[in-house]
Amino acid sequence: MNGAMNRKVLIILGPVAGIVMFAGAVWMASLLVRHEYREPYRAPAAAVDATPRAEGVTAEKADAETKARAKPYVEAEYRTFPIVGSRVAIWSVAQLHLLFAAFVLAVPLFAFIIEAIGYKTGDPRYDRLAYEFTKLLSVSFSLTATFGAFLTFMLVILYPKFTNYMMSVFSPTFLPYVLLFFFEAFFLYTYYYGWGKFHPLVHLGLGLGLNLVGTSIMFIANAWLTFMMSPRGVSETGAVLSVWDAVYNYTWMPINVHRVIANIAFGGSVAAAYAAFKFLQAETDEERAHYDWMGYIGNFVAISAFLPLPFAGYWLAKEIYAFSQTLGLTMMGGAFSWLFIIQAVLIGNLFLAANYYLWLGMGRVEGVQPLQKFIKYLLIGITLCFAVWATPRSIIATVSEVRAMGGSAHPVLGYLGVMSAKNTAVNILILTTFMSFLLYRRTGKIATVTWARIGHTVQLAIFAAAAFVVIFLGIYGYFVEATVRIRLSVPQVSSVLIAMVSITVIDVFLFRGAARTGEVHWGKIPRISQYVLIFIAVTFTWLMGLMGYVRSGLRQHWHVYGIMRDRSPDAFTPSLGFATKVVSVTVIEFFLLIGVVFWIASLHDRPDFQRTPKKIRQAETHEAELT
Amino acid sequence: MTVPLIARIGALVLGTTAFYTYVGQMVPQKEVQPPAEIVLKSDLTTADMVKVGREIMEGKGLCFTCHTIGKTGALRFPDLAGVDVRAKSREAGLTDVDYFAQAMYEPNAFIVPGFNPGMPTINKPPVGLTDQEILCVISYLQTLGGTPTVTLQTKHRYNAGTATPAAPPSQGASPGGTQPEAPLKGEKR
Repeated sequence: MNGAMNRKVLIILGPVAGIVMFAGAVWMASLLVRHEYREPYRAPAAAVDATPRAEGVTAEKADAETKARAKPYVEAEYRTFPIVGSRVAIWSVAQLHLLFAAFVLAVPLFAFIIEAIGYKTGDPRYDRLAYEFTKLLSVSFSLTATFGAFLTFMLVILYPKFTNYMMSVFSPTFLPYVLLFFFEAFFLYTYYYGWGKFHPLVHLGLGLGLNLVGTSIMFIANAWLTFMMSPRGVSETGAVLSVWDAVYNYTWMPINVHRVIANIAFGGSVAAAYAAFKFLQAETDEERAHYDWMGYIGNFVAISAFLPLPFAGYWLAKEIYAFSQTLGLTMMGGAFSWLFIIQAVLIGNLFLAANYYLWLGMGRVEGVQPLQKFIKYLLIGITLCFAVWATPRSIIATVSEVRAMGGSAHPVLGYLGVMSAKNTAVNILILTTFMSFLLYRRTGKIATVTWARIGHTVQLAIFAAAAFVVIFLGIYGYFVEATVRIRLSVPQVSSVLIAMVSITVIDVFLFRGAARTGEVHWGKIPRISQYVLIFIAVTFTWLMGLMGYVRSGLRQHWHVYGIMRDRSPDAFTPSLGFATKVVSVTVIEFFLLIGVVFWIASLHDRPDFQRTPKKIRQAETHEAELT
Repeated sequence: MTVPLIARIGALVLGTTAFYTYVGQMVPQKEVQPPAEIVLKSDLTTADMVKVGREIMEGKGLCFTCHTIGKTGALRFPDLAGVDVRAKSREAGLTDVDYFAQAMYEPNAFIVPGFNPGMPTINKPPVGLTDQEILCVISYLQTLGGTPTVTLQTKHRYNAGTATPAAPPSQGASPGGTQPEAPLKGEKR
């Protein structure tokens, strides 16, 4: 029923999209034609009107033509884009390009790992899953390249002087970039179309090549954008001193690492959303079981990458401060400080949704009851941390309220708005979500190793020690000077990372050869869980859009911070309300396009077109008449 | 009537983005304009310079991104309340004007004890104040605990005035071997 309805909607949407695209193309063509230079019309000599008025008009035209020809060539600094302006146009296209690029770079990473697991274990389900993920790639790759070309042209047209400057700084990087793009296409298409056609190790080699080339492409592009934020290797006037220094600027490596991790989280969430979509469309238990498993793996990939992401974020922020305190303070204490409250809402939602999905997923495993009692405590912990993280330092209040509070900070809640409280909250949030993962992992299993009791005790002790260190340092931060306080986040982060790694290692050995108390029934999960996966994908996408904005917007009225000033009409920093609207529109555009990608990917599984009996009869009759 | 799957997913996507857009409208809204190019008249009085200095500190100078006036507690950068009093005796041999000028032209020459280096060079991008604008800022800083004395003709060692060599970077050490006074929380470097 749903499938039929979906087809009807697609039948309607297809022509509508076609008409809109056609109208757009006609409009653009007519715009270009209207602005093109036209040779003045010259009447044939025999028809020339020799009256004084006609001669005057002809002279006027000739004069205008002479002036037009004498007009000197002036290099444009900026051009304007109709209706939304140049900045929003570039912003939207760049964001779409980045979202598709993130997806295209992330999916091969985990498809490769899943395929390798399948090769190692000999379980064909992994191979099928890896192939299913890879099916989403080819259309996405084309869209990434299209938006990349679109972005380049938009930059050349709308910001010619700035683009020219960037080209002059980074010219040695462009040809390798294009070359790598060829290799990327080669590896991607041979990886996809060569599935099952080569020896598995050769195929895995193609996957490895695809990942290496893809990551290298991203590293080159990252050099361009990080240079804009933290330029290096150029003089005060912008003259190039060292291309390598321009590439290896302060924020290049932190952005590289941050993007690899964030791309995996984002790609996993979008792939999980695809699985959710297919689960909801599925008509058989077998299909539901497969897509439930695929959704679980996608979400597992997303959340596993998401947990260490804040640590990469810390590093990036540290390097921003190291480059320029002003830039760092603009980010955390200036125009963008409230953006991090929005970010807290998004990340809080992500943690809540990811945990909710895991708790729902426990229902598919027999023997879950002993662990379910812990869920309410995890929920309380997550909610409290979320509340602390989303508490702003300064409260939006009326004048009388500010007077009553003795300042813009609330006398009690104000203490939760500082970094000591927020660092503590986010670290405990990560630990709690990690605990949810552990609970899910051990659902339906009992450790049978002889040292099981000691293992559980040690795990609990590590967890408690990490939580103690995080909370203690969080409180201690209120009583020390800024120079000391800033450094406290490092041991907080380290203790959480050490706890996660060591507990995972113990867990792997602890549950090796564990006894099963019940089966896992893939596909037996409430349908709402699939909507949660889609919600997570939308939230991830929105978060990427928002953080992309702050990374770029941080430069404020500079194209290249401190080197090349933005003198365009769009040089101002828009309000957060406006920025969030642009992000939302871009996210909706992305999901419309990714819907098309999903649809095209699903064509592969459709049965071949069959002629109706009537048509076949007509064809037979026609054939008989001919013979 | 069953709502088609595509419509349900579409509603979820739209609803989620609408919610986040709503959150984005709930936070304070501020559009930050690029700093206006200020043309200073050559006949500005000291009183005028104080006003201009305050404006520059709030806008183009980005001073209040980090510094505060009259705030106590665990501060990340020195507070500026009463700063002129400390500036007069902060470094031996430097007047308050010289000290303020050094803090802006050569910010790492002296770091107030208890604080980390972090102040950008104010006469260079991204802030890029002119010599005259810096004089206006100095005039305003003098009002915080003292009386403004500078004019647009005032000379100091960074605008072709007395050419005193800059002290090497130090953490609280003052030239001449004298010990700096005990760190005061919220102090201007």
